Amino acid sequence: MRKSKRIQKYICTLIAVILGLACVFPFIWMIRSSLMSNMEIYQYPPRMVPKNWMFENYPYTLKVFPFGRYLINTLSITIPSVCGVLLTSTLAAYCFARLEFPGKKLWFALVVSSILMPSSVTIIPIFLGWTAVGLSNGYAPLIVPAFLGGGGFNIFLCRQFLMTIPKDIDEAAIIDGASHPRILFQILLPLIKPVLISIFLFTFILYWNDVLGPVIYISRNEQNTISQALANFRAGFGTDYRAIMAACVMSVLPTVALYLIGQKYFIEGIVLSGLKS
Amino acid sequence: MKKRLGVHDNTLIAYLFLTPALLGLLLYTVYPIFGVIGISLTRWTGLQPPVFVGLENYAKIFTEDNFFISAVKATLYFAFGSVVSGTLYAFLIAILLNQRIFARGVFRSVFFLPYIIPGIGASIVWAWMYEANFGVFNYFLGFLGVDKIRWLGEDLTATPSLIIMTIWGMGNVIVIFLAGLQSVPKAYLEAVEIDGGNAWHKFRHVTVPLMSPIIFYNFLMGIVTNLQVFVPAYTLTRGAPNNSTLYMVYLIYREGFQRNNFGHAAALSLIFFLFIGLLTWVVFATSRKFLFYEGD
Repeated sequence: MRKSKRIQKYICTLIAVILGLACVFPFIWMIRSSLMSNMEIYQYPPRMVPKNWMFENYPYTLKVFPFGRYLINTLSITIPSVCGVLLTSTLAAYCFARLEFPGKKLWFALVVSSILMPSSVTIIPIFLGWTAVGLSNGYAPLIVPAFLGGGGFNIFLCRQFLMTIPKDIDEAAIIDGASHPRILFQILLPLIKPVLISIFLFTFILYWNDVLGPVIYISRNEQNTISQALANFRAGFGTDYRAIMAACVMSVLPTVALYLIGQKYFIEGIVLSGLKS
Repeated sequence: MKKRLGVHDNTLIAYLFLTPALLGLLLYTVYPIFGVIGISLTRWTGLQPPVFVGLENYAKIFTEDNFFISAVKATLYFAFGSVVSGTLYAFLIAILLNQRIFARGVFRSVFFLPYIIPGIGASIVWAWMYEANFGVFNYFLGFLGVDKIRWLGEDLTATPSLIIMTIWGMGNVIVIFLAGLQSVPKAYLEAVEIDGGNAWHKFRHVTVPLMSPIIFYNFLMGIVTNLQVFVPAYTLTRGAPNNSTLYMVYLIYREGFQRNNFGHAAALSLIFFLFIGLLTWVVFATSRKFLFYEGD
């Protein structure tokens, strides 16, 4: 019995290794192609491993694809947006979890049902709205929404977590004369740090990977985000594959690094998003 | 005590804290719904002021617009194709990872990672692997004696190719299913064993029923997400070949932002919105039949 279980374990691991290799294959292919000459990339049958590891492809790519500038552009959208989401979603969540006020049920129902709103349906009126105020070409349309509640789902999530904290804690703080912002930011939020970290990471990734938003609102190349610039780069330099692949690696690497750092919170966040039933 | 915590000062602070969220609700949910209706009744090019044209845009969509019906079909094909096969893929991988296995955490990360990497980067590599003459997929298939396939270049294979790529990115569902499988109470499984049941019985009568709400919820979310597919169509195919990857959001984007037909694009958006709503409702309504909730 014990032996057959051990064999089963080996077999399952073997299957997982094979499928796992298939799953990482695109990553391997991306990296391998980024270290080849164009001639080698276009070689057929394809070589699995570069003959000469051309690390100089990266400095070369940086010359034709100014990654640094795109990185700064992307971060100057992503960082304020993440801050906006965390700030305004926790403020709203606090109201729904802790305060009594007229209209609470109605607003909460509306916020929760706004989760179901498919965002692609609203792009036309929102774009024309930004055009009407003269801000349709720039970062404002990408950043401002983050400061408007940070999305119904994040509000809902924070509220659920705040509800699990005993009310005695803030009642004691009120007796001690603490203000509402103080209760929220100094007492309650530190207690729900894990879920805030999850929201931080997912919001970061969401903005980092966004394509449709930048494509609609950013037209000048100097203002492009990484993803957008990469799409344009491929369209413009269609055959210079070593540079395209190196640029791909550079765009993917930060998200992989972020995952490795915040693994636990990514997994917890995903489970939270998919198990509420 | 009661007085200091009275209704009045709470109301003020609550509405102060809620101001951003309520503005968001107003500007990003309420306004766009009315906006999209209003704009859809106009001819609006962005250069000239909008002209009210009544239902002309809708009439055009249903009579003259050759792209609309093909976009609806292509979008449904893509969304259901990717979510049905993606759910199956995720469930099988999750079951595999739920077995006694070495380095489960590492495998979980490996399968999850494609979910968070930028869609553009992923699309470009996949396109290169799909490439007909130099691509590695055709090279592998060559060993099996399969002739070179123009994956992204033929109507028949374009959407399936994008579906395979999309399934690869569904690592989140694997993580969710795995968590669900791990939360199936051991006692239930042991009860089946005591009654003489085998692994299949456990799977069929305990695991699947207990997992059904999770599967259903993620199926629904997957449908709503994948109906709104944009990145692969934008990066790889631009709607080609023969409009077989001209999905709804790409069509809306093209009408609105490349052709400046905002009225037409808004009418498409509204139809799309009702379509998603109707589909969600249908899936919900039919789900009652096969769902199992604890306590039922």
